[in-house]
Amino acid sequence: MPITVKDFYEAGRETLGLEVESGEDSLDQAIVEWALNRPGLALAGFYHHFAHRRVQLFGLAEYSYLKSLSPSVQTERLEQMFKRRIPAIVITRNRRATPEMRALAMHYRIPVLRTQMITGKFINEATMLITHLTAPSMRVHGTMAEIMGIGVLIEGEPGIGKSETALTLIERGHSLIADDITILRRTSEKVIIASAAEVTRYHMEIRGIGIIHVPSLFGVAAMRREAALDLIVRLQRPTSEIERDRSGLTPQTREVLGIPIPLITLPVAAGRDLAHVVEVAAMNQKLKDLGHDAAKELDEKLMRLLLERKQKL
Amino acid sequence: MTDTQSNTGDNGSITREFTVLNKFGIHARPAALFVKTLSRFQSDVTVERDAMVASGKSIMGLLTLEGYQGSVLKITATGPDAADALDAIGELIARKFYED
Repeated sequence: MPITVKDFYEAGRETLGLEVESGEDSLDQAIVEWALNRPGLALAGFYHHFAHRRVQLFGLAEYSYLKSLSPSVQTERLEQMFKRRIPAIVITRNRRATPEMRALAMHYRIPVLRTQMITGKFINEATMLITHLTAPSMRVHGTMAEIMGIGVLIEGEPGIGKSETALTLIERGHSLIADDITILRRTSEKVIIASAAEVTRYHMEIRGIGIIHVPSLFGVAAMRREAALDLIVRLQRPTSEIERDRSGLTPQTREVLGIPIPLITLPVAAGRDLAHVVEVAAMNQKLKDLGHDAAKELDEKLMRLLLERKQKL
Repeated sequence: MTDTQSNTGDNGSITREFTVLNKFGIHARPAALFVKTLSRFQSDVTVERDAMVASGKSIMGLLTLEGYQGSVLKITATGPDAADALDAIGELIARKFYED
């Protein structure tokens, strides 16, 4: 689905202080190329390689230059830009659209936004917002929790105990990000950020109880808006398949949006304190991230010892 | 062959001795393989070396035995599939845990 000027405006209303200067009803314009362009050269009459697919940003320099032109030249230069179907114009420092710009924007049905921010700061903030909006993302079936700084996605078939495990984690002082449906977004080459679907955020469904509002019951500290995905824990009914490697020497990973994420499969057995095991898995992952692989270190120690004692056959 | 002898105990248990063949001995990976192999069998299995005994279904237990290359493991299986369990373990040891 293409991202529209409206998406950008709505996401940036608070963080970027965006307001609609004109063209409220043309916000549905799709933004094909997600970048900002400062159209100084175009305003000077040079349109070769004009990045018309980008949002056009009028900073103080562009704005002052535009104002220095006669109304007829303004119209001529701006029309060349509008004719190329630019997606939107943003004016910084709370300057207002000139009458010529306003008239053309109405005619070509192209929205003009403005912000109080200064241009440099706006570029930084808007770029971050654009990265956020355009990051590859996916919805997964799973409950997301944060355990001592480690983001853990708990997966498993319905009824296996994902939500119950999360509930116990909350009681142990950890936080919930999302129950049952988690949105994953790749925000950089190495980082995946997990969050909840907007409508169900802060809620959980517990079998036998129904829907609960987590912060009301457990306090605001029990919820977080988002967390990086560091570990996937898969809950599974015991099969011989899971017994593949019990030593933890050959860690498994799963590709998520192109990034390999450590994966642990936990057999669910009656009476097993799953939340506690998930907690340990998270801590062990943290230890690994810090460069300590317990399984590997013990094995190396053991192999040294065994080699010393080894006998000729 | 490493399999030296079989003794059948009073309770139908079978005991055999095996010499560890792989260079690095019973470290974590072989121990995990050991346990994984035995998980297919119902029989109880104990592994003994130098008067130390561990369950054949416990990774940590097996590690404590310090089964270096050339050491002898006395393995006892008790249960309906005891002989098969010992055969499977014997093969694993003979194949050097697919290591060297």
